[in-house]
Parts: sequence; structure tokens; C-alpha cells
Amino acid sequence: MPLVAVLSSLFGEYSDNWNHLYNFVLFDYLRNSAVLVFGVSVLTLIIGTGTAWLVSNFNFFGKRFFEWALILPLSIPPYILAYTFTGLFDSYGTLNNLVRNIFELEQSYIFFPNIRNIFGAIIVFSFTLYPYIYLVARSAFLNQSRSTLESGRILGLNRFEISFKLAMPMIRPAIIGGLMLVIMETLSDFGAVEHFAIPTFTTGIFRTWYGMGDLLTAMQLSSFLLILVAIFLLIENKSRRNAGFVSDSSTHSPIQIERLNSRYSALAFVFCSIPLLVGFILPTSELMIWAIYYNPSFFDDRFLDAALNTITLAVVAAVLCSMTALLINFSVRINKNKILRLLSSFLSIGYALPGLILAVGIVQTTTFIDSNLLNKSSLALTGSLFGLVLAYIIKSYALSNNTISSGMEKISIGIDNSARVLKSSGWNLLGSIHFPLLKTSFFTSILLVISEVVKELPATLILRPFNFDTLAVSTYIYAAEERMRDAAAPSIAIILVGLIPIIIITRMIRSSRDKGAM
Amino acid sequence: MCFKLNNPIKSLIAICLLFSLTEIIANEVNIYTSRHYDSDDLLYKDFSDATGIKVNIISGKGEALIERLKSEGSNSSADIFLTSDAGNLWKVQKEGLFKSISSEKIMQSVPVNFRGPNNEWIGIAKRARVIFYNPDNVPSKDIEKLSYEDLSQEAWKNRIVVRSSNNIYNQSLVASMISNNGIAATETWAKGFVSNFARKPQGNDRSQIIAVANGEADIAIANSYYFGIMLSGSAGPDQMKAANKVKMLFPNQNNRGTHVNISGAGVLRNSKNPINAEAFLEFLLSSKAQSHIVNNTYEYPVIDTIPPSPVIAQFGTSFVEDKTSASDFGKFNSEAIKLMDRVGWK
Repeated sequence: MPLVAVLSSLFGEYSDNWNHLYNFVLFDYLRNSAVLVFGVSVLTLIIGTGTAWLVSNFNFFGKRFFEWALILPLSIPPYILAYTFTGLFDSYGTLNNLVRNIFELEQSYIFFPNIRNIFGAIIVFSFTLYPYIYLVARSAFLNQSRSTLESGRILGLNRFEISFKLAMPMIRPAIIGGLMLVIMETLSDFGAVEHFAIPTFTTGIFRTWYGMGDLLTAMQLSSFLLILVAIFLLIENKSRRNAGFVSDSSTHSPIQIERLNSRYSALAFVFCSIPLLVGFILPTSELMIWAIYYNPSFFDDRFLDAALNTITLAVVAAVLCSMTALLINFSVRINKNKILRLLSSFLSIGYALPGLILAVGIVQTTTFIDSNLLNKSSLALTGSLFGLVLAYIIKSYALSNNTISSGMEKISIGIDNSARVLKSSGWNLLGSIHFPLLKTSFFTSILLVISEVVKELPATLILRPFNFDTLAVSTYIYAAEERMRDAAAPSIAIILVGLIPIIIITRMIRSSRDKGAM
Repeated sequence: MCFKLNNPIKSLIAICLLFSLTEIIANEVNIYTSRHYDSDDLLYKDFSDATGIKVNIISGKGEALIERLKSEGSNSSADIFLTSDAGNLWKVQKEGLFKSISSEKIMQSVPVNFRGPNNEWIGIAKRARVIFYNPDNVPSKDIEKLSYEDLSQEAWKNRIVVRSSNNIYNQSLVASMISNNGIAATETWAKGFVSNFARKPQGNDRSQIIAVANGEADIAIANSYYFGIMLSGSAGPDQMKAANKVKMLFPNQNNRGTHVNISGAGVLRNSKNPINAEAFLEFLLSSKAQSHIVNNTYEYPVIDTIPPSPVIAQFGTSFVEDKTSASDFGKFNSEAIKLMDRVGWK
């Protein structure tokens, strides 16, 4: 319903501001967004698939560490990485000062270039979002059947030819699914591009709303963004169904892992270290130093409350969202229900909607329900946790849907048919056959939603009840006042809390896989 | 299975109901605020200690809070809207969401130009948008009588830094110029001004001051209180060092005065606790609260009896203020944005 509320703006009047937008800024917005999306896509594909290929197919120094550590940058929201990078790379930031002090150079000497431009933004998004591709690519690589790859070897292909001619095309649908998530998140972001002062489509939406006081035009702009994303999703959906690489997973045996010699091992190590270093180690060390130096009292006063709120919300939303995705995908599979499939794609576009616009849609929806359907004299839903959880579910549905539907595609239809012969259907089929097979996907979905909710800011700000802080809200309170260093303490807290599910769930995934391999 | 699925939703609804119940019975005041300073939390606590009235807060972006207020309509539980920009006060006033403040005490303390046309809102603190320069690079005789208007002159080519036009403080400044000089003259000015930028607009107000301190540019436009925060050392030694290299200048002292914006608040039309709400506004104007504000946020006070923080008082306290009504910032904001788009102020 909140999505409908936003889209219904398309049927409203089109104000004069459209003229202004068209004449002066719209093309600038579109161009910048396109460059951003293109750059981020290329870079995340290289990092995400490259690292996943290495850790899934080869043994090299540090492989077992990289396997889970490469997910860590997922715990850092792009806006926090943007603030941190500014502090690090600014002409008078930490790194440039360091270079000047070490080599005793003049104050005017600047070694690291300015990061506040579109290239900086591409780097920020790529190094926080590549784990989406890494996760799907890795699970796709692990699920490849050994027999297919061995046939390649028999046909005389060498190791790289096997990877590029056989393996890559087979995992392409999964990777494109991950890439869609990256693109949607890049498009919906406001914090990082605003900090770098890059006029993108999303900053345009807010400029129209705040500056021109024209919420309707802003919602119309958002709707066009949604429609664009919906078209992408439909194309992706079609290509995925046409590709039809359903490997016969029941007879699948895990791929053989090759040992790299020391030279290649070193190369692999360096390649995997870079994203971890840039996307996690560098920013967290800087934040850690700031947090200890500037605002350590945060951990005494506010941390516990905000952390508890954050965790509760994240877990509730993650479970509900994953359940919803599981049920919808299951029904689509069993009943071949077209309407549900459409609904599922429709819900997925919520991920590309800027959080504040989603929040407006939710407020309009909940106040409508409150004043028309429930007790008319008070607001039961508006400003309650219900609205907040609803926002998170709409915002993160794409994450759950993506992991669960690709997990489900791997379950052979033969299993359903045998189950049916054995008179297992409905809940029983879901509970005792599909769910156990989907455990990894289900946990991955919970992990992704939790880390998304922990990072989510704009919708939380507006929809929350009185006196209700989350960690992201605490960060914003400082960051909005340009007190980036005071914001470091809550930022570190976000990362720490985001790490808990990442660690727990990578362990679960690993143990369920080890069991599966036995 | 079905029942299990339902359970969390049911408990959520129960939690929501609980929230709305507690709101009905307590002695409290509910505030929507877009000021999110740590120091404001201490103010709320002082108020509660003094009166026994509990303060409940939702902080967020001003425009989005206004949307929430509009949607909530007569059922809204908010009593006060508090914001750090006059443009937002004007928007709430235009939507008819404020009611007129009746307290005589408040009317006596706040000057007329810092109140809504029908006393819908009042200013609680002021900030000036001023010029910063590095005395090593810019001789003071060059800029003594500087006004915002002069910054479009050829002499300042490649010497000015200012943040992006997405920023509300820049929008209010341009809106105030439209109000005084008209759209055409302001557009001509803005064209020249933008062509004098030393770099593409980027970063926040403080990065502009730092750029001047480091010689990347000669002149920066930024808000007075950020300078106070930097000088106070609470933002770290390097920002303090940078701030000590630059000087603050009040422009337009020989004509209409320096552009001043306000933090302000008003009582909402659908307030369920209007008496508590006015008591809170009275408290904000008390000398205790005013000293707390000026010494923590480095804003200027709205009442004459309280001096500004010594950290920024050293640059002068009796400067000429632009008396352009704060409502005009809101009224001309849309025009200001479009004008800045037209001249390519990113």
C-alpha cells in the first residue's frame, strides 16, 4: 500500500516545476546517476565475482579467513564510509597529514587526491556493496556441479577457459540478481551523494521536495525511478527464467578445489585484501580512533538503549520479511500463481525507493487506516513500531526475495513431484522438504535484512515513536551537525552490532554446508 | 503455522496500543524537532526537573516531520514543532498547523521580527551567515566594507568557497537577497558569484572555513556557530588550529546588515497539552535556558539580557542585522533554488 501511495502521485497534477527541472537539471541528474550506476556495477562485479571465484575454486594463503571476512564491509553504511573517507583523504585529512609528516613536505603538498566527486562516490558504493555480489556468486560457484566442469576438462579446456566459458555463464543469473540489489541501493542512497555534493536523481528528488516545497513532483520523480527499476527487474526475471541452468542438485558433488602455487597464492591474497582493507579495516580503524578520542561517553549513556532497540527491530523485521518471501515464493512455485509473482516483483522495487519517500508513503497509509478503519480519535498505527517494521519489510523485501527465490530455483522440480507421490503437500512440503533445503538461503536472507535494518536511517527518523533511538539515529544526530568525529562512536556501534549476525550466520551456513557435503 | 505467523504481528499491535495509552495519561509535552543537538537533551531534562512535565522527542528532517504532522491531522499527538530554520517555520505556518501563542511573557521577550505574523512561532536563538578570511592572504582594508553583493566582482575570481546549493542556509541567504534586490538582480549577482568559486561546491560549512585556513581559497561563507564550535576545541585540535588562522567578518554593515536566520518553535494547532507547550516555550526564553543555548551551540541569544558565548563575542556583538522577515526565507525558497539551478550553482 505505501508503494501504491507513492505511485498514485503519477495521476496527480504535473506542476510548473517540471518545466524548470527539464530545462536546467534533469539531464544532469540522469547523467550523474547513470555514470554512478555504471561505475559501481563494473567495480562491484570485478570485486564481487573475482573474490568469490578465488575463494570458491582455489586454496591459497588466508582463504579460510577471506571466506567470511569479505562479507564484513556489508556492516558499513555507504554514508558512514563517505564521512570516514572524507576524514581520511581530505587535503588536510589523516592520510595527507601523515604523508606530509613522514616525508617532511610542505603544508600545501597534497598526495591523495580529492575524494568528493563522482569517482569517490563510485569507490564508496562499490566497496560497501560488493558483498551482495560476493555472497550470491560464492554460493553459485559452490553449487556448480563437478561433472559439468569435468566435461570441460575432457574437452581440453584449461583452468581459465573452464572458469570463463563454462562457470561464468552458469552463475550469470545469480550474479545479475546480486547486481540488481547493488544498483537499487546505489539509486536509493541520499546520504553519501549528498555529502559529496553530486547532483543525482535522488538528490534531485529531495531538492524538489525540500527546496521547492513540492512533495508531489518529488513523489512523481520517485515513481519514475521505481518504474525504471521495475522494467530492469522484469528483464532480469525473464532472462533468468530463459537461462534455465537448473543443475541436478540431488546428484551434485562439490567441485574440486585446486591449490595455487606460491606466486598465484600471493596474487590471490592481494586481490582479496584490497576490498577488505579499503571497505573495512581502513574506515573502522579511523572510526575507532575518533570514537575513543572524541565521544567515548556514548558507550555509557546511550549505547545500550539504542543497541537493544536496533537489534529487536532488526530481528523482528528480518524474520517477518524472510517468512513473507518464503511463503510468497513457495506459493508461486506450487500454484504457478502469476499474480503473486507480479506482487513479488512489485514489492522488490521498494528497495530502490529513497527511505524518506517510503516513510511518507507509510505515514499516509497508516494515518489512513487509523482514521478510517480503526479507532478514529487516536493514532494507533502511526508512530508505532508497526509502521517502522512495515517500512523495513518493504525496504528489504528484495534482499529476501532474491536469496530465497534463487535458493528455490536450485531445488529440482523432481523433488516436488516425488513428494507429491508420497502425498506430501502444502505446509508439510514446505516444512519438511523445502525449508530444510532452503536453510542456507533463509539464513542468508535474515542476515541481509538484519544488516540492512541496522543501517537504515531516513525512514527510521520519521516513523519512530517518541523517545525511540536506534544506533543509526544516534549517528545521524551528530553527523547532521557536522560532528563527524562525535558520530564515530555510534558508527562503530552500528558496525559492531551488524557484525554479530554476520558472524553467527556465516558459521551456520558453513556448518550446514559441511553437513551437506558429508 | 498460520497462527505462529500471526503472533508477532499481534504482539506488535499490542505494543502500539500500549504506546498510545501511555500518551493519554501522562503529564507531558510532545516535541517534533529538527534540532538534534546533544545540548538540547540537557535543556529538556532541566525543564522536566523544574516542572515535572515529561518531555517526549522525535527528531528528524524538518520537511519530513511536517509531512508526518500533515498526515496525522487532528489526531497528532505532537504539541510543539522546533526547528533550526525559519523556512520550515514558515511552511508549518502556511499549512495552518500552528496556533497563535497567547503568553504575554513570551510576547514581551521576543522582538517582533523574530515572531510569526500572528505570533504562530517565535525565534529561540539566532545565527549569522558570515564571511571568513585569512588575514595573511587578504588585507583587512580590502574587505572592511564588504557586502554579499560585492562577491560577484571580478576581483574575487577563483577566491571564494561555499557549500552546495542543496544546503538550506545558502537557500535562505539567496531568498533574503531576492526579497531585498529582486529576482533579476539576484540572478545577475549569482552568475558572477558562481564564476568566482575557487572549487566545485563540496563539503560542509566547516570544510569551507578549513579551506580558507589552508590557503585553498581566500573567502568562505559559513554560519557563525560552526566557527564557535571549531574555536572551542570540542571538534578536535586540528579544527581549532584551522579556526585560529581565520577571522570572521560581518558583511553589509553599511546597508541592510548581515543575514540572520533563527532557530524557532511554535505550538501546534492540534496540541493536546497546549498549557505545557507554552510553559516549555517560556522556559526556552528563560535566562538559564538562553545561556545554556548560547554556550553550547554558539548561537546568538534572542533576548538582550544574555550575552553570546565569549568564544564568538570577541568578533563583535553589536553588528547590524538584516531585518528581512524570517518568513520571506520560506516564501522565496523555491525561487532561490530555481535561480541557483539556472546559474549552475551545484
